[in-house]
Order: sequence, then C-alpha cells, then structure tokens
Amino acid sequence: METLLSLRGVTRTVVLPDDQELHILRGVDLEIASGDHTAIVGRSGCGKSTLLNLLGLLDVPSSGELDFLGTPVQKISSNQRARLRGSTVGFVFQQFNLLQGRSALDNVMTPLLYASGRDFWRRRELAMEMLDRVGLAARADAKPNMMSGGEQQRIAIARALVRRPRLILADEPTGALDVETGQTVMALLDSIATESAAALVTITHDHNVAALARSRYRLDAGVLQALEGVPA
Amino acid sequence: MSGVVGALVEAWQELRINKVRILLALFGVALSVAALASVVGLGDLAREGYKVQAERSQGRTATVALSVNGPTTPDPVRLEKAYQGIVERYGISYWTHTAQAQARFQFPGGVQDVQMTLVDPGYGFIHRTDVTQGSWFAADDEQRLAPAVVVSEAFYNAAGRPDLVRKPLAKLAGDQETTAVIIGVVPDLFPQAPPSAFMLNGAAQTAGIAEGYGQFKVWVQDGQAAVLMPAMQADLQAQFPDLYIDASRMDYAAYGDPIAIAQLAVGAIAGLVLLLGAVGMLNISMVTIRYRVREIGIRRSFGATSGRIFVGVMMESLVATSVAGIAGVMVAIAVVKNPWIQEKVAPALSEYPPFPVEAAMLGFGAAVLVGALAGAIPALVAVRIKVIDAIRF
Ligand SMILES: Nc1ncnc2c1ncn2[C@@H]1O[C@H](COP(=O)(O)OP(=O)(O)OP(=O)(O)O)[C@@H](O)[C@H]1O
Ligand SMILES: [Mg+2]
Repeated sequence: METLLSLRGVTRTVVLPDDQELHILRGVDLEIASGDHTAIVGRSGCGKSTLLNLLGLLDVPSSGELDFLGTPVQKISSNQRARLRGSTVGFVFQQFNLLQGRSALDNVMTPLLYASGRDFWRRRELAMEMLDRVGLAARADAKPNMMSGGEQQRIAIARALVRRPRLILADEPTGALDVETGQTVMALLDSIATESAAALVTITHDHNVAALARSRYRLDAGVLQALEGVPA
Repeated sequence: MSGVVGALVEAWQELRINKVRILLALFGVALSVAALASVVGLGDLAREGYKVQAERSQGRTATVALSVNGPTTPDPVRLEKAYQGIVERYGISYWTHTAQAQARFQFPGGVQDVQMTLVDPGYGFIHRTDVTQGSWFAADDEQRLAPAVVVSEAFYNAAGRPDLVRKPLAKLAGDQETTAVIIGVVPDLFPQAPPSAFMLNGAAQTAGIAEGYGQFKVWVQDGQAAVLMPAMQADLQAQFPDLYIDASRMDYAAYGDPIAIAQLAVGAIAGLVLLLGAVGMLNISMVTIRYRVREIGIRRSFGATSGRIFVGVMMESLVATSVAGIAGVMVAIAVVKNPWIQEKVAPALSEYPPFPVEAAMLGFGAAVLVGALAGAIPALVAVRIKVIDAIRF
C-alpha cells in the first residue's frame, strides 16, 4: 500500500488577537495509505477541522513533518499545493458548501474547471457520470436550494469525487442530516471510495459512522490517539 | 488553454447568476461609453460640416488674401500686372478677385436689389461653390455678349425657376438696359437669405456694375502657406515700395480648430461620468466579493490557484464592461448616424462621413479600462481570502 500522508509530531498554533498562542494541535502522528478508511472522533473544538485542513493541504503545520505523497508540504509553493489539492484531494463538508444559484451539474463540474487536458474538455460528461453514480442524474439541472439535505450532500460527494481523488476528506458529512439519511449518504461515500481505491478520512461525532471505518482515532486536546475496537 | 477557457466559463457563469446587479452597474458604464464615443463622433461630424461651411465663406485651406493699400491709390493696371506676375511666379492654379457690388434686377414680381459678388472662375474652387443646377463660370464666359450670372436659390425662385437649358435671361434694371444669362444655381448661404448672384469681373465692367473694395485671393497647398505668404508679400513690396502690402490667411484653419475645445469639454464630462460608472462598478464588486468569500473558499479547496481566482474575478469585470462597451459604442453609432442628428449637427454636408474608428476604439478602450480598474481591486481582495476562514462554519 502506498503511503499518501505521513504526519510526525505535527502541531498547529495560532496567535490570537490578544497575542496569546492557542495550541490547537500538539504533536499529531498519523499515517494514511491509499485505500484506508479512517475515522476521527472528538469533542467539538478539539481541533478536528484544523487537522483535516492540514491533511487537505489547505493549511501548513506550525511545526513537525507532514509528507504528502512523500514530499514535505513546506517544500511546495502554495500554487503547487493548490494544483496538488485539485488533482488529489476531494472535500465533503458538513454544510455541503455547494455553490448557490448554480445547477447540480455546474456544481459537480466546478473541480474540473481547474483540471487540464481531457478532464477539462470532458467535464460535462464526467460530471454527468458522477451524478448518475450518486443517483441524481435526473436532478442535474436543479438548483441546490431546491434539494433536500441528503440530496445536496450527494451532490457534494459527486463533486468531491469527480476528479477521482486519491484522498477524500469528509468533515462531519452527516452532521446536517437526520440519522437515516446520514447512514445512506455515508454508505454511498464509503462504497464509492472503495470502488476507486481512494483513502477516506472522515471526521464525525457519530459512532455509527465511525464504525464503518477500518481504523479509528480520537482527537483530544490536540493529541491524536488510536482507538481499539468498535466503541459502543 | 484550458486555464483561459476555464476562467472565461467561470466569469460567464458568475455574470449569469448576478444578472440584475451587473446590469445596473453596466448601464452606467454603457451610457458613459455611449456619451464618450458620441462626443468624438459628433465632434468629427460637426468639424467636417463646419469646415465645409467655413471653406464656403472663407475659402479652402489655405487661402491667402493679398492687398495693396495706400497712402496713395496704386495704379490698377500695374497692380493687376503684379498680381498676375505672382500667379505665374508661384505656380498658383486657383486665384480670384472678389468684390461686392449692388445691382437691381427686374423680377416677375418687381424690381429687387441683389447682392452681387464679382469673381474670377477660380472662386468656385477656392470657395467650394457647388452648383445644384447648371454650371459654374468657365474662363471664356467673360467673352459672352450677355454677361453670365450664377444665382442663389433665392434669386432663382424670385426669377420663377426658369429652365437653365433654355438660357433664361435676367434683366438688370438701371440706366443701361442689360440682360444677363443665368448659367447656374447655388444653394443659399443661410435660410431666408435675400437673392444674390455671382458675376465675372470682366463682365461686370461691361455691364456697368460699380465695384466696391476688392481683394485678391490665391489658393496654395496647406503646408506651403507659411513659406509662400512672406515671399509673396516681399515680392509685392518690392514692386510697390511706398505702399502697405498685406498677405494673410483667410481660411478657418488659420485660427486653430474651433471644434476641438468644445469636444474636449464634453469629452472631459463624459470621462467624468465614466469614472463615476467605474466607482459604482467597483462599489458593487466590493460588496459582492464579501458575499462571495465562501464561494471563493470552496473554489480554492477544489484546486483553484490564487492566480486563477484573481483572473476569475478580474475577467468577470472585464467581460461585463466589454459587453457594456460594445453596447455603448453601438448606441453612439446609432446617435451619430441618425439622419435627423446629422442634419442638425452638420447642415452644410450633403454626404456624411462614416462613424470614426477612433471614436469606437476610444469608447471600447475606456470600457475595458474601467473593467480592469473595477476588477483589479476586488480581485486582489479575493486572492487574500484565507481558504480555511472562508469555509469555516
Ligand atoms: N485561525 C484561528 N484563529 C483562532 N482560533 C482558531 C483558529 N482556527 C481554529 N481556532 C480554534 O481552534 C479550536 C479548534 O478548531 P477546529 O475548527 O479545528 O475544531 P473542531 O474540532 O473542528 O470543532 P467542531 O467539531 O465544532 O467542528 C477552536 O476552539 C477554534 O476556535
Ligand atoms: Mg470542525
């Protein structure tokens, strides 16, 4: 299995407006290989989103080492990070974060606007395929605000996966959905990730969601610990 | 390649979604572009019309008037010889004496005073006199027994609009009974002008029309006027050492361009309006960029580089103002090529020039400039948006 991400002693510190330092992450070690399904649980405000932003190259660590596909992130420019992110990472957010006013199809095509070559020119076709995969091909022209939460999150999943990323990062993907819908959406995400052999990292409050993952961690006060067994 | 197309696709989507706000902002831009391009276009048209009119009354560029003035009156025969010498030595192809005189004509409706201009055949070229009927004087017209006249429209009407092919006669009322042949008709210089007529100098003498104060005018190439004027003056001065010689330019171009100042003033106002349009445009883009922070964050998380975000926001503004610019130029063309407006702005013209390319370029260029300015600032703001902050909830 190829290692996608490797974190050793990663910290993230922010300076608050009153010049105090806030240590959000205090030395995180984590390895993620392609095909892994990982869940991270933790209390609100413990730094889960901060960690996910680091994994998705949206942010860089304050200290420690983070290698993305073997390259230390500190060594790549922000433009290179943006391209790498576009081609390798797909995000699914709790609030769906669909572009308002644009059709489902336009939303799914968005990541392909930053692709090049064949993927760019075939963006409509690829997006339609992906919409079909999440069962919403018939709603291609619908606007997100006309859709249910579950449908919106399925659109968001299609968008996250349309460039066939090797790493899927989902930040509380079921947080805004009812339990049943959440489970269907999660099952879908899990199966598409498995199909494409992508690594899936899910942040969740929901132990049922966490139970789907093969490896589980708890983030507590900025420290990441592996969880043994399926928590009750 | 896909980067450029992608940015265009994004800009176009953004414009489609914010139709109303964009349309409002663009209305101002389009309007000021229309004003700017119209000012330039109408100015050109007015200049063309003014030029034709001015050249009709004052002579083509460059017309030089020569005069020899006393303490003593110069001998007319010697003076004429000197003038003809100038014509020969300086290779003048068009020249004319002009003098004003009064004559009384017998019209069907009674006797009327007519303002006569006594000229030589060269006057027709120098003053751009276009005949609407018949013809202008030829050199041999002086030899006619009955003097030839070219009459104004008003004269022609008073004479009952006779058919020129039949060489209609006009009776001069005076001690000496003379009849003149109407050979051509020219338009009135201004509406409701009293009847007037042109007659050749030689013919006027035969007809016994007393000539008033006269001038001798020659036409030279525009570029040569500065050299030839002093030379001709010195030439005449040498022949008449005791008299005052005057050589001066008569045409309108000698006094600078009278339209330019008006054009500059209106252009400056239009520029100001455009600036206001740009500020309005900038204002709206700045407000919307705040609503778009999340959207930009989302795009960034899906791989948009900061350069791409900059170009996207910028392009949106550029695409929008370019469309407004084209609309504005089209309005300007509609205004400047409107027959009613053309007639009002340049009444002297019978054929109108095409819409000037500079005016279209200026209008479109100004619109693009406004788009670039109004796009650059929000684009810079957009680039500085932190992705993590933008997508946090
Ligand atoms: N740029 C920042 N400036 C100041 N404080 C920050 C910043 N980023 C994160 N924080 C703080 O760090 C802590 C962790 O934030 P984070 O968003 O990672 O939490 P989380 O685990 O995702 O919480 P939740 O489950 O509520 O989403 C929070 O207290 C947050 O207020
Ligand atoms: Mg969070």
